[in-house]
Amino acid sequence: MSVLSGILIGLATGLVFGFALEKSRVFEPGVIVGQMQLKNFLMLKIFLAAVITGLVVLAVLNGMFGVKLSLKPLLWKADIIGGLVLGVGIAIAGACPGTSLAQVGAGYKDALFVVAGGIAGALFYGYNDAAITGWFAEKGDKIGFDQMLGLLFWSEALLFAAALAGFLVVLERATSWRNEIGTSFDGVPPVAPIPADDANAIRLSEAPR
Amino acid sequence: MSIFTDKSWSPYAAGAVIGLLQIPTFLLMDTALGASSSFVTVAAHLASIVDPGVDKVKYLASHMWGAKNWWQVAVVAGIALGAFISMKLSGARRETISPIWVRAMGTSSLSARAPIAFFGGFVMLFGARIAGGCTSGHGISGMAQLSAGSTVEVAAMFTGGILTALLMRRS
Repeated sequence: MSVLSGILIGLATGLVFGFALEKSRVFEPGVIVGQMQLKNFLMLKIFLAAVITGLVVLAVLNGMFGVKLSLKPLLWKADIIGGLVLGVGIAIAGACPGTSLAQVGAGYKDALFVVAGGIAGALFYGYNDAAITGWFAEKGDKIGFDQMLGLLFWSEALLFAAALAGFLVVLERATSWRNEIGTSFDGVPPVAPIPADDANAIRLSEAPR
Repeated sequence: MSIFTDKSWSPYAAGAVIGLLQIPTFLLMDTALGASSSFVTVAAHLASIVDPGVDKVKYLASHMWGAKNWWQVAVVAGIALGAFISMKLSGARRETISPIWVRAMGTSSLSARAPIAFFGGFVMLFGARIAGGCTSGHGISGMAQLSAGSTVEVAAMFTGGILTALLMRRS
C-alpha cells in the first residue's frame, strides 16, 4: 500500500474518530479526570461501547472471513509498569494520546503543550527503548483469552461482548450519561444532579458559549 | 442533519461509531486502531532535523517510514480536524483551558497550566511506549481482540490514573 493511500485512509478514519470524541464530550479533561476520580463514567461507557462494537466486528471479520487479528504480546513488566505510568500521565494531562489531539481541535490551548510533551516523551522513550527492554528482559506471546481457554475467537468475543453489555446496562442505571455530561457539556458536574427531563431541556436549548 | 450539529451524543452511540472504525482499519491497513505510535513517528522525524543518527536507533527508525506509520499520523491529525469540525458545527466553543484546571489551580492562566500539561504529556507517552500502546491501541483494539497483554495494560492504566486523580483531588 502506498503511503498516500495510507494517509488518506488514516485522515478519513481520524475525522470520524475525532468527530465522535468531540460529540461524546469524552475528550474533555473534565470527563477524563472525572472518570479517574470515579465521579463520572462517560469515559468507561464510550470505551466499553467501542470494545463491544469491536468485539462483534472482529467476531464477524475473523470468524466469517478469516481476517487476521493483530494482538500485542503479553509482557508483564512492560504492560504493568507502562500502563501505570500511562495512567499517571493521563490524570495529569487530562487526556490520553488520542484525546489530546481532539482537545487541540476543540480549542483547548493547554492541549498543545500536552502534545508537545507527548512528542518529547515518545522521543525520550525511543532513545532508551533498547536499555529499557533490556532491563525488562522478557519475552511474550501474542496471546488472547480465547486461546487460553481453548475456545474459538468469535464465540468468546461474542460472549465477552454480551457480558460487557450487561455491565453497561447496570452502570447506566446507576448513573445516567445525561447527568454526567455536565450543564456546559464539559463534564464538569453541576452542584446537584439534574433530573433526566431537565437535562434534555438544557441540551435542546443550549446557546453557543 | 441535526445529529451533526447536536452538542452531545450518547457515549454508546459514539463508542459504536469508533468501534466500527476497526472495519476499514483491519480490512485496508491490516492493523488495529491506535494512536501513540504516531507520536514516535513525528518525534523521530523532528529529531532527525538535529540528529542525523536518528535512523540508527532501531526503535525510532522502525517508526519513521511506510504506509502504516504515516497512516497513524494521519489518523491522529484527523482526530484534531474532526473534533474541530464537530465543535464548529455545534457551536460548543471552548475556553483556553478546561474549567477543571482553573478550579484546581485557582487561576485561568495558560502559563500556569502549560508546564503541568507538558509534563503530563511526557509521562503519558513515555508510559504508553513502555507498554506499546495506549487507550486506543491496547484499550479499544486490544480488548476487542481478547488480548491478554492488553487487558493487563488497561487494568494498570486505570489503576495509575485513578490513584493519581484521587491524590490530586485531595490536594
